Amino acid sequence: MRISINWIKDFVNLDGIETEELIKRFNLATAEIEDVYNMGESTKQVVLAKIVKIENHPKSDHLHILQVDDGLDNLTQVVCGAPNVREGMVTAFARVGGMVNGYKIGKAKLVGVESFGMCCSEQELGIGSDNSGIMDITTTAKMGTLLSEIYPINDVVFEIDNKSLTNRPDLWGHYGIAREFAAIFGRELKPLQTEDLSAYDKLDKLNIKVESKNCYRYSGIAVENVTETRSPMEMKIRLNYCGMRDINLLADMTNYLMLELGQPMHAFDHKIVNGITVVEPQTDVDMLTLEGETHKVPAGSLVICDDNREPVAIAGIKGGLKSGITDQTNSLLLESAVFDAVAIRKTVKKIGLSTDASVRYEKSLDPETTPVAIARLVKILKEIDGGIKVSSALTDVYNFKYPKHEITISYNFLNKRSGVNLPKEKVNAILTALGFELSVKGEEVSVKVPSWRGTKDVSIKEDLVEEVLRMYGYDNIVPESMSFNLQPVEQSKEHTLEYKTKRLLAEKYGVSEVHSYIWNYADFNKANGIESESYLSLLDTSNSGQSGIRSKLTPTLLKFASENKNNFETIKMCEIGRTVSGLNENKIANEEHILSIVLLSSVKSEKDLYFELKTMLENICESLVKTKIEYVDGVTQNYYHPVNSNLIKVAEEVIGEMGVAHPKIKENICPKHNLVCLELNFAKLCEAPEVKTTRAKVSKYQSVDLDFTFLVPNGVSYASLQNIISTYKTKLNMEYSLKDIYVNEQQNPEHKSFTFNFVIGAMDRTLEAKDIEKFSNNLIEHFKTNGINLKG
Amino acid sequence: MLQKIEEVKKQFALDVDAVVTPKDLEELRLKYMGKKGLITGLMPMLKDVPNEQKREMGMKINGVKTEIENALASLTESLEAKRVAEQINNAEKIDITLPVETGVGSLHPRTIIQKEVEDVFISMGFVVDMGNEVETEFNNFDAVNVPATHPARDVQDTFWLNNGQVLKTHTSAGQNRILSKYKGTCKVVFPGRCFRNEALDAGHENTFFQMEGVIVDENVSVANLIYFMKEMLSKVFKKEVEVRLRPGFFPFTEPSFEMDVKCPFCGGSGCSTCGGSGWIELCPCGMIHPNVLKMAGIDPEKYSGCAFGLGFDRLVMIKSGLNDIRALNSGNLKILKPFKLNI
Repeated sequence: MRISINWIKDFVNLDGIETEELIKRFNLATAEIEDVYNMGESTKQVVLAKIVKIENHPKSDHLHILQVDDGLDNLTQVVCGAPNVREGMVTAFARVGGMVNGYKIGKAKLVGVESFGMCCSEQELGIGSDNSGIMDITTTAKMGTLLSEIYPINDVVFEIDNKSLTNRPDLWGHYGIAREFAAIFGRELKPLQTEDLSAYDKLDKLNIKVESKNCYRYSGIAVENVTETRSPMEMKIRLNYCGMRDINLLADMTNYLMLELGQPMHAFDHKIVNGITVVEPQTDVDMLTLEGETHKVPAGSLVICDDNREPVAIAGIKGGLKSGITDQTNSLLLESAVFDAVAIRKTVKKIGLSTDASVRYEKSLDPETTPVAIARLVKILKEIDGGIKVSSALTDVYNFKYPKHEITISYNFLNKRSGVNLPKEKVNAILTALGFELSVKGEEVSVKVPSWRGTKDVSIKEDLVEEVLRMYGYDNIVPESMSFNLQPVEQSKEHTLEYKTKRLLAEKYGVSEVHSYIWNYADFNKANGIESESYLSLLDTSNSGQSGIRSKLTPTLLKFASENKNNFETIKMCEIGRTVSGLNENKIANEEHILSIVLLSSVKSEKDLYFELKTMLENICESLVKTKIEYVDGVTQNYYHPVNSNLIKVAEEVIGEMGVAHPKIKENICPKHNLVCLELNFAKLCEAPEVKTTRAKVSKYQSVDLDFTFLVPNGVSYASLQNIISTYKTKLNMEYSLKDIYVNEQQNPEHKSFTFNFVIGAMDRTLEAKDIEKFSNNLIEHFKTNGINLKG
Repeated sequence: MLQKIEEVKKQFALDVDAVVTPKDLEELRLKYMGKKGLITGLMPMLKDVPNEQKREMGMKINGVKTEIENALASLTESLEAKRVAEQINNAEKIDITLPVETGVGSLHPRTIIQKEVEDVFISMGFVVDMGNEVETEFNNFDAVNVPATHPARDVQDTFWLNNGQVLKTHTSAGQNRILSKYKGTCKVVFPGRCFRNEALDAGHENTFFQMEGVIVDENVSVANLIYFMKEMLSKVFKKEVEVRLRPGFFPFTEPSFEMDVKCPFCGGSGCSTCGGSGWIELCPCGMIHPNVLKMAGIDPEKYSGCAFGLGFDRLVMIKSGLNDIRALNSGNLKILKPFKLNI
């Protein structure tokens, strides 16, 4: 929103305060000023000049050659194309070397005739919207007088961030902003000059009916005998500087009042609209608005109708064309109303039309302002057009009143919450300046909230803390440390392990962490044959492009892998993220904390990659969570290899799946790379019971190394050999490790040779030959009973 | 006898000069000191020496023996020195400037900054907690005092799900759960991923990170909040920072503030990071609204607290030097991999 400082100065004296200071203090106390425009700065040497003589241009049918008196000794020749030139007319004239709204004026030749300057329209000067001809000025000032001396074209305009005013309905007009400046700088806020409308109480009331609870208040008055059609230049300048176009006097007046008080107003042609009915129609309504566009207003929206129930305006948003003010309008019915913020917002969204009025209504305006705005408008209109006549009593339907808030607060509470010792007088002065009414009772003060702050903004003690502190100045608060207590804090294991896991994978195995969106890439999955379920979907997909929330993380990493594959020989990627694995009985999402790892390589074999993946997993289990994993068959997802894939089991619970990629899917995604992936429930992994590792006893006597090679039929897993060894009973200390696996395809394709290294010993002696012989024989025998023979 | 000793001495002097290799040396040692060596051979000759000269001759022989032993020792030493020197001289000069591959992977830049910031909080006695990404409407809105009619609840702003839940729009969705857990004094920070239904561009993401914190105790004040934020941000930026509060509005805090940091990169004179304003808007914060405390079962008359958010992705962008926020969720390893483990 744009705020003119000239306008503010109507209400508060800001003499002696630099613009820089205004900006700084307003930013810290009220709202953010995003931009500052020095209006009039780029208009230079534009003066009053009288057109003394007009000649037709010899070679042009629309240009004229003017001799103008701009106050200097000799007349100046100007070529001008404006259609409204006439001898004796006073206009705005930019001298050579001057500047018109940033455009430099030099000597020029127009179709062969020299021109020394430029006659300007309002629009060219940026002070009005009229561009139909050059300015036609009525003045008693001398020719050569700077335009800026007769019109307030020099002004400073602040662009205030609308977002920072969202919760301040009172700041959507200049008067409210002036109140802030007055409070910030301790200056007086001048009372608003208004017409005493009680003088018209005896006139007939207007026929105003309100049939919707969403119209809180509707005030109206009728005015007739309006003869002026154009707004004074001062008003046009303010409107244009604040970002609105001037149209005609009555339309400009309503806009002016909106910019001044934040109260949107609408003027109906009283000849067309005789009375008002505010309704929520049961059916859609087509409305041709002032802009000449037709909008379909959905049933249930607030619509203003005349007393024949003919729609004349979309309430709070836009007036209708048929009932609008034209240059011929001489009597008007003035609307000043407040509507429910949510009702307006809903209609705005539905019809896709947001206006200066609706933006304000969406902030919850103060209904107390509606008659004030009418009284103010009548006052100003009378000053401009002395002949007008108020032709009705103020008619006011007031259906919903906000509760009046009165807050009792102790000075001690203010001090405690702020951490500052605030002098009572200071507190009282600040609140009073902002319009709060105080009655002090000892250490407490009872505070009446003014109506313009009471629609949603201020209602509790904490709100007053804010009011006092922002005016006191947040920069005047001395930072103060908190007292502390000496309790140790315990961090979440799951959260701590998340970082450690990512770090381990990155540091030791060269894995790169990625972040991906929470939705499935349905197209990618489909194109590559990946089946991945989704238990939840987004209602609006205009920005996500996808609707299903992922139940698995890996498919997204496969997509990333596919996108990166041409740039890397090897890709190692992981993400720890969230998925939704289903809904519980209350339809609440079961959200899971998931780790996924994907490895691609164009040089390593699938087997090597799969073991690399296993190494990563086992390292996480060994060094971070200290648990033990079992691998069993039976994966569920179709992107794993049906044979070379495993469920990951911890403490009898399946917590994830891993595997070589399904050959078909691998071919689709990355035909030149091998691909393995893993996905597990990270939260469950973190909760897994710690498995205590038993350390072998160390004897001070010498131990003995023995190697045994067994012929193991194909298909027997290492785990089952481990199982055989673990059931072998001996009183000796025993450790073993797998030393080698040998396959002789020619001589013995049915078997693999597993060589184990056993280290045996005793705690109390050095082993003798017979001990060793007994151990060996029994071990071989034990294997034999389990169907495995010693080689050779 | 004496003559024989002198001959051995002379002969040794000649032989020594011929020693070049360790093998020569060993042969020399054997020739003189071996079992059948020349020195060893002198000893039996003593028996033919008259008794009165035996002692003198014995000493002479020992003298020669010691001389030769010393000579052999120093010769051993110098040959060894020569061998080592040759080995050093023959070594290939290693070009240590050649590149190596450490094999280190990469953490996501968010993870790197998140850890840095979390460590600051942990050093100040905070607990780091986690939240959900799919939240109930109650937790995301009602419990943090967002009115039922607030525009933020619109489908245009919030990702609503078909079961009535939402993708959480702010980390504040975790406030109720955390405040309810502690029921009073606590210092907790909760990072998390948030979602807004908005169009993507270089500066806007629909999926982004926030970090939020709450401090609740008896008599937490605005002065405390400013002190804490200043200290915390100084640690985050690793230099003393200046902060300022401006009025803000959030339903879950009252008063609410926008906290700006004087740009740590230009010192406030204006640069591209701060957009020329000299200040970076980084932390929405405020005193926890009494309704929020009440809904978590905390008596707002007894306790007060402050809450703050960190525009986390903004911080990541500033610290990482990335200029397109979309890179963070892209999975593009060309961009992400070079971050390695630190920024």
